[in-house]
Amino acid sequence: MDVSWATTIVAVVLMCFIPSAKKSILAIVTVIINAMVTSIPAIQALGGATSDFSFYAGTFLGDVPIRIDGLAAWFILIINFTSITGVIYGAGYLKAYKNAAYKLSLHWILFILFHLSMIWVTLLQNGFVFLIAWEIMSLSSMLLVIFDGHLPKTLQAGVNYFVQMHISIVFLTIGFLWVYLETGSFDFDAFQTFFTSNNNLWLFIIFFVGFGLKAGFIPLHSWLPHAHPAAPSHISGVMSGVIVKLGIYGLIRVISYVQSDFNLLGELIISISILTGLYGILNAAVHRDFKKMLAYCTIENIGIIGIGIGLGMIGLGSHSPMLYYLGFGGALLHVLNHSLFKSLLFFAAGSVYQQTHTRDMERLGGLIKSMPQTAIIFLIGAVAIAGIPPFNGFVSEFVIYSGLIEGLKSDNINLISLLILSFAGLSLMGGLSILTFTKSFGTLFLGNERETLPHQPHEVSRIMLLPQYLIIAVMLSIAFVPQWYLIIVGNLLSGMAVVSHPIAEEFEVSSLAAYSKTLSHISLYSLLFIAVIGLIWMIRHFAQKNKSIIIGNTWGCAYVAPNNRMQYTGKSYSKPLGKMFSFMLIEKKRYPEIVSGEIFPQPRKYSSHYLDFIEHYLIDYAIRLLLTIVNYFKFIQNGRVQSYVMYGIVFILTIFILTLLNLVK
Amino acid sequence: MLSFILILIAGAFFTGIIIRTKSIASGRKGPGILQPINDVVRLFKKGAVYSRTTSFIFQMAPTIYFSSVVMAMMLIPFGQSKGLISFNGDFVFFAYVLALGKFFSIISAMDTGSSFEGMGASRESLYSLLAEPAFFILMGSFALLTGYTSFQEMFAALHLGSYISYAIAILATFVLVMIAMIENSRMPIDDPKTHLELTMIHEVMILDNSGFDLGLILSAGYLKFALYGAIIVNLFIGMVPYPYAIPLFFIIQFLLAIIIGLIESFIARFRMSHNPQFIFALTSVSLLIFFGVLLVLGKFI
Repeated sequence: MDVSWATTIVAVVLMCFIPSAKKSILAIVTVIINAMVTSIPAIQALGGATSDFSFYAGTFLGDVPIRIDGLAAWFILIINFTSITGVIYGAGYLKAYKNAAYKLSLHWILFILFHLSMIWVTLLQNGFVFLIAWEIMSLSSMLLVIFDGHLPKTLQAGVNYFVQMHISIVFLTIGFLWVYLETGSFDFDAFQTFFTSNNNLWLFIIFFVGFGLKAGFIPLHSWLPHAHPAAPSHISGVMSGVIVKLGIYGLIRVISYVQSDFNLLGELIISISILTGLYGILNAAVHRDFKKMLAYCTIENIGIIGIGIGLGMIGLGSHSPMLYYLGFGGALLHVLNHSLFKSLLFFAAGSVYQQTHTRDMERLGGLIKSMPQTAIIFLIGAVAIAGIPPFNGFVSEFVIYSGLIEGLKSDNINLISLLILSFAGLSLMGGLSILTFTKSFGTLFLGNERETLPHQPHEVSRIMLLPQYLIIAVMLSIAFVPQWYLIIVGNLLSGMAVVSHPIAEEFEVSSLAAYSKTLSHISLYSLLFIAVIGLIWMIRHFAQKNKSIIIGNTWGCAYVAPNNRMQYTGKSYSKPLGKMFSFMLIEKKRYPEIVSGEIFPQPRKYSSHYLDFIEHYLIDYAIRLLLTIVNYFKFIQNGRVQSYVMYGIVFILTIFILTLLNLVK
Repeated sequence: MLSFILILIAGAFFTGIIIRTKSIASGRKGPGILQPINDVVRLFKKGAVYSRTTSFIFQMAPTIYFSSVVMAMMLIPFGQSKGLISFNGDFVFFAYVLALGKFFSIISAMDTGSSFEGMGASRESLYSLLAEPAFFILMGSFALLTGYTSFQEMFAALHLGSYISYAIAILATFVLVMIAMIENSRMPIDDPKTHLELTMIHEVMILDNSGFDLGLILSAGYLKFALYGAIIVNLFIGMVPYPYAIPLFFIIQFLLAIIIGLIESFIARFRMSHNPQFIFALTSVSLLIFFGVLLVLGKFI
């Protein structure tokens, strides 16, 4: 740990003085050193060697406990991997900014801090210090988001994120304070005392709101679709890949202390998660800003992870070890998988943005010809995120499906009905993500380019491609050796159950052994699938060998002068879906009608965009209401120094009189 | 292995029987039952025309589409004998393997940059996603009913005894037939014989495919019919010994083909805007099955 602190301080100081071309290299080196230092104990912890230590933090806090257990280790490794790929990609992505040295220094310093603070969030076991790390994480990521702070939209997204993160912190603070008031300790272990003697429901809900804001469960998701498109792509990749997952981390951490009400809480989480997933992917399907689409897709994946968590809780409640392992295991695997393919997709999207300077997919097209590698990378990410074999997304979704099937063994009819509905919901999400990603991939990369761009796009630099190939390599390792990852998660979960739950001895990890065999079969069948494809491809190759191949125009129904604007657009591709769900996907159109008497219509513009239902009707409404109420108190803040001084005097006088009358002590 | 071969054989005749039924119903003599196979063989021998807009995706997609159907065929059991591949939860794999094929066929349609083919792609993805929950609720209900989670064990354990279970089997047949129709873009969802691009679904997606690729796509379609037919057969044969089961397989597939032919002859296709409602209604039929299962298990108190 000392190494990482020393490196960080040296790097931060050095960053201000070295030439801007070297800054990114320094950032890469620092992030890698920090990652290595923290990964070693994390890997040990995954092997079962939980390391406990503490540091002295002044008289008020005393010794702050730090623990690297399996859960923390799992998240640390995810954070480290995504941060490393993010910083390498970012070095290439920000090449164009080498003239803005101060901007770059600030950016890289913040990135290093951001990475470190995320790791500390998973390490600290004391509520108070945890909040500090959490706050550093939120602040540094907010400042990273507003890299292009001169753009009003970006700034607005940053402020939105800033405010929402602080609402999250308010809830977390309330939660920790409540525990503190009941037990007299900020340590996480005090949760167990609290949960054993108090009602579990309300504290859990408070933490669920706090962490849910970070994770993006509906209706707490509204910062994601603003912050992710505004941030530079390597930041969106890391944010969507990891920072959102730290909300999940917090949630699982709290769950590991919960002692009762498992079934109720599990059903609650599953219900919210299904809605989150469907809501996220429905919105993702209709948006034309491809980074916004990815942000909404993150919300969907949080829903999938949430289903896993809910299942795991039901497993705890119904004393079913298999359900516990499949639920939480699926959730944790999906956390890993999503961090991989979502950062991959954001990086690929960033490459497109860097080359074309637009996030509007309707203006692009045919990029597969100018950026073939990026296109393939995006395609791999798209297939993986849709949960289709032979990629890793299928593995975690399959584990969650297995959990749902396992849960059907229950006798509780409410639960069975809920699980069958989740079954349908999950499959619908799968179908919708196929629609979303065929649309995005098709519109961005296939066909012809829809507009002539100011610069001809070409393939991005190697330093930007390298981290993406790294991610794909890890993704393939999950797809083809899933049992290895499953066993790690299983050990981690059995450790978690032993620590905090009285029913621990039932939760032998051996119950997972049979299942991991099934999972290893799946990877074999995925290989078989690839072999079948290869075989048919060979047959096709030989069959076509001596045949005539003619290259011609796309069939145009006998129309001989087609142009590129006539291609089917992404908007029209998802329009039938948008129409079907028009009660939720609100489309705002703006166009001047042709009025009677307008004999020579002028060229006119037509614009349409989709609004976020929850943000538009729920959050904006609440804010308008709040503004109206607060407006009545505007006279207090009138800008005159005299009245402010008077407030002070009135305050002191009141305190004085109240003390005098013995009303306050 | 047995089911794989049986599906291959059934697939060879299935579409031919549908076409023959339709011709007889409309008073024509119609082509021979093997005509679709002859068409495919002729296509396999031909050269190809590619659009200059297309990329390697367009060339790869038919292969992947066909492979996904082959892969799905391997998962289908036949009575007591397992499919080539069988494991717990294989029906999830089944659905997702087919999804990969669909994914590629959709993007290959978009690869042509045509104004028609995107339309078909859009419809295909929408309709097939709407059919997904029906399939999953159906399979989930069977898993609940039998306590098993692989195709073979589930179907082997389906004992048709009470009236409710007959009702379940009939509803399930209905759902599966309709899913087969949607997956293959047949009536009443889509009319394969239509000649207007604006109203086609599957056919408009493959406008630019030719030669070997078109042959692959067509034969994948034939196999897909037999594939769903085989699932339906499995609903009924259970533990029947092979000497009876194999003829039963062909009889049921034959009946199914005739029924599809009759549906296509006597029902007009839906308006495009009514399709989502119809497909989504399948989900509620699946839910009926689910409630039926709950009744059988006595979980309704």
